[in-house]
This record gives sequence, structure tokens and C-alpha cells, in this order.
Amino acid sequence: MMSWKSVPVVLTMSVSLIALTACEEPKVDASIYESIEHCKRDPIVSDDQCESSFKEARSQHAAVAPKYSTAEDCQADFGAGKCEVAPYKSSSGGSIFMPLMAGYMMGSLLGGRRSMMSQPLYRSAQSPNSFRTAENRNVGSKTGRTTVAKSATSRPTFKSSTRSRGGFGSSGRRFGSGAT
Amino acid sequence: MQRISVTERPDLASAAAEHELVYIPGEGISGWDESAYYQFTARQIEKDIEGPAEEIEDLCFQVVDRAVNNEEVLDRLGIPEHYWNFIAESWRNGDKNLYGRMDLSYDGKQPIKLLEYNADTPTTLYESAVFQWEWLEQAIELKLIPEGCDQLNDVHERIVETLPQLGIETLSHFACNPDIEDDKGTLNYLEECAREAGLETCFLGMEDIGLNDQGQFTDLEDRVITTLIKLYPWEWIMDEEFGQHVPSSGVRFIEPPWKAILSNKGLLPLLWGMFEGHPNLLPAFFEDDPAGTEFTGTGSYVRKPIWSRQGANIEIVQDGKTLYQSDGPYGNDAHILQGFQPLPEFDGGYPLLGCWMVASKAVGLCIREDKTLVTSKDARVVPHVILD
Repeated sequence: MMSWKSVPVVLTMSVSLIALTACEEPKVDASIYESIEHCKRDPIVSDDQCESSFKEARSQHAAVAPKYSTAEDCQADFGAGKCEVAPYKSSSGGSIFMPLMAGYMMGSLLGGRRSMMSQPLYRSAQSPNSFRTAENRNVGSKTGRTTVAKSATSRPTFKSSTRSRGGFGSSGRRFGSGAT
Repeated sequence: MQRISVTERPDLASAAAEHELVYIPGEGISGWDESAYYQFTARQIEKDIEGPAEEIEDLCFQVVDRAVNNEEVLDRLGIPEHYWNFIAESWRNGDKNLYGRMDLSYDGKQPIKLLEYNADTPTTLYESAVFQWEWLEQAIELKLIPEGCDQLNDVHERIVETLPQLGIETLSHFACNPDIEDDKGTLNYLEECAREAGLETCFLGMEDIGLNDQGQFTDLEDRVITTLIKLYPWEWIMDEEFGQHVPSSGVRFIEPPWKAILSNKGLLPLLWGMFEGHPNLLPAFFEDDPAGTEFTGTGSYVRKPIWSRQGANIEIVQDGKTLYQSDGPYGNDAHILQGFQPLPEFDGGYPLLGCWMVASKAVGLCIREDKTLVTSKDARVVPHVILD
């Protein structure tokens, strides 16, 4: 078997792989607002659009926001007074904490229905001027119409408070390679 | 089928560097040997390898179809009862498979014989799909081999084409034992394929997978894992602490759970039991089966643990005497016995044909050559060409 020194880089088979480096990631149009009111002040967005996209982001917030088992851990990442209790309980019945929603991002108004998908945004204690998605992607500090990395606009995943880790991996430590 | 000596490319060290492979001065690229290549006719590839491999795949599916409804078989394969329904449901749901590598004995004349099916965690993927192809292109350009040479090698294209058809809706996670460079390298290549196919990916170690209060698996950012592309054997997953949560985790696994039946060497006696006498199968029996005891009476057989990898814990018995025995950590589980079909010898090497199956189609070939009859982790990949 051949041995890797480190992560392989595919150089031969595909041109598109080379083109897709992080710094050249395609940008797409998006709009970022701190609130419904903020959105309604934007003349190119109708009030209905503002409300429905806020609702869509708000409805995802509890599921996709990062989760913490203590308020202190949450505030360490998002700042004092910037966290709330999540509508979930841990298996032992304890509270779960998550950051407050700090704004929302809508896809391009010119695109199809899919690109209209809206999602909640957060501000971290470390860089309070920038907005971040629930996937911790920085989408910049500019509000109103802006451009963001295309990957930042994909649907955020459900976040939960991890109870334990390390329940996998013991056979690998015992046997080594899992390959055949 | 011929083994033809050939001049190595002059810039092997830089080829190794470009692909971040280990190069040892004086020895060449670790695990790779381009001082020779195997040449097949198009007819050999199509009629002797591709066709039969896809037929074997079909036989394997018939075995799975029967095994998922048979508790005795699942028990014999050492699969814990907790997973029986999980595996059966994944089969009935039609959970899609991505890839696997069939290990075949072939001398260019006799029908191929299935030695085993690495249906769950196959490796040598990058060597087969990328490095071997680059050798072909450059060797033609350098006029080291004839211009008309081709290769059975659609592995990369088919993987990129198949990945988005597996029903992955959102972020997909890739996990293995991160301390093993070979495993990580293979999985990182698959991840590159997924990105090329437009999928969003995240790599993590198996040990980093978390469990939340809802019994779901999470990554290091607490994101719930919905698709896990693993280079980590099913029998390990089922044996480990978090394994009990797997059936209710809601995760789409690639390879799917039903591959646990095919990656087990118990597949070989199950195949023989259903399709005895098939030209591409060798006789095979569970050791604790009366037919197995009877089979040892023939004096020539290969004894393999139902779970083992990279040639470990294999014993070859010929005319009642142990011809070869390899060490390894896998000797404690059940064993199977298989008819002894020695690999052919070409110039002192014993080539083992690995036929790559992607979405159940035979799309690639990888020849590993060892100095012994059992192909171990010390085997070197030797490239192949098709030329009429």
C-alpha cells in the first residue's frame, strides 16, 4: 500500500478542484438586516418579504443556534446578556443555552425561490461587529444589500448540546487501519 | 495478460512530491512499482473481469437479500442482534452503496475467482484512480509505452457522479481513524471528490464524534451529523460504546449498514452455499460447519478469520501442511475455509487483481503485487494497460 505523508491534493483529474480554493470561493448576493424594522426601511424589499423572511429565520433559530450546557459557556462565546435559554432540556432535565438571534440574512431577491431562503445570524463576543451564521461563517459587518460566500448561504444544520464524545474509536486504537 | 518491464518515469521523486506520497531514494515511491506493468487485451477486461465482477455483485445482492431475513445467518456472521433490524431496514429501504473492491485471482486464461470482497472500507483508491492514470498519460507522452494504451479506470468520474445521487441533502461528514495516514489520505480524496460534486463536507476523527441528548451524533461544532461517509469498519462501529445509538441516530451511512454482510468473509461460504459450482467462486465453508470439517479433509485450503484486513491472520494449508501463515490481531473470531487458488506468478511476483465497483459497476482495476501468496500491506501497486 502507498503511504501518505499528509493530506493528498488531487492535481490531475479535475480543473474545477484547483479553481475552488477558499479565497476564490464564489460570492452571491444577499441582504442582511438586524430586525424587521431595519428590513422595512430598505426600499427595494416589500414589507411582506421582510416579515416572511424574518419569520423563516426566526423559526430556525432555536434549532440551528449553537448550544451550551451552561450560561457561562454561552456568554464566553457571545458576550454578557447575549444568551437565552433554549427550548430544549438535557437528558438530566437541565437547561440548555444558546445565543440571541442578532439579525437575519436573505438570499438574492433576483434569484428563484430557493435563493430567497432566509437564516438567522449571530454576533460573537470576539468580533461583535461581524455577523456570523449558525455554522460560524463570518458574513461581514455590512447590513442591507451585500455579497457573501456562496457556502455561507446553505441551510444551517441542527445544533445540539453534545453530551459526550469518544464513544467511537477504540477499535481503531487497537487495530490501526480500518482499510481492507 | 502479460507482465512487461518498463523504464520508470525519470522524475518519480517530483511525482511523489506533487501527490504528497512517501519517496525513498533508491527504493522509489512507497507502495508503488512502475518498473513493470500488466497488459490485458480488451477482451480480457470486458469478458473475463468486468462482466464476471458485475455478475458476482449481483450474486452478493442475492446473498444479502436472503441474509437480512435469516437470524441464523446474521448470528453466524457475528452481527449483534441489536443491529439486525437496522441492517434489514437499510437493505429494504434501498440505501445506496458507493464503492467496494473485489479481490480476484486471475492468470489471463482461467475464469477469475473471487478471493474476497472489500465492500465496506476499501483502500488503494487514490493509487488506482489518480496516480495510476497519471502514470498512463505520462508514460505514453514519454513514449515508454505504446500510444494506444488504455486503462480500466473510470473510478474518479464515477465516484463524483455517484456521490450526489446518494440522497445527501446537507453537509456530509467524513470520518476515520485520523492517526492512520493511509486511511486519512483515502478519505480526504473521497472528500475532494464530494466537493467536486458540489457537496459540502467536514472531516473528523471517529473519536471526535459526539452524542447529544436526542441520541443524535454531533461534530466538533455540535452540528448534528446527518450523513457519515466512514472509512471505519461496520464491525468496529457495532462493537464500540456509541454503536448502540447508531440505529436510532437518523444518520445516513456510506457504506450503508447492509454492507456489513458483504465485507464479512462469511460472505464467501454464503455465496458458495447458494451458488455452488459457479465458475467465479471458490468452495468455501464456515469452519464450525460439518461441511467445513469435511473440507479440511481435502488437505488444501485457506483459513481466514471472518474479520481481518490486509492479509493478517491468514493460513494456507496444502496437502495437509501449513504452507504460509501470517500474524495479526484478528485471530479470535470465527473462521472460514476457502479452496486454495494460488495467485499466478509473474516474474517472481504474485499479482492480486482489485476490481473497483462504483455504484455496483466494474469501473477500475488495481493490481497489487507481493512477494508472497498472501497479499499484505507491503504489496506494491503495479499499473496496468489495455492494448490489443
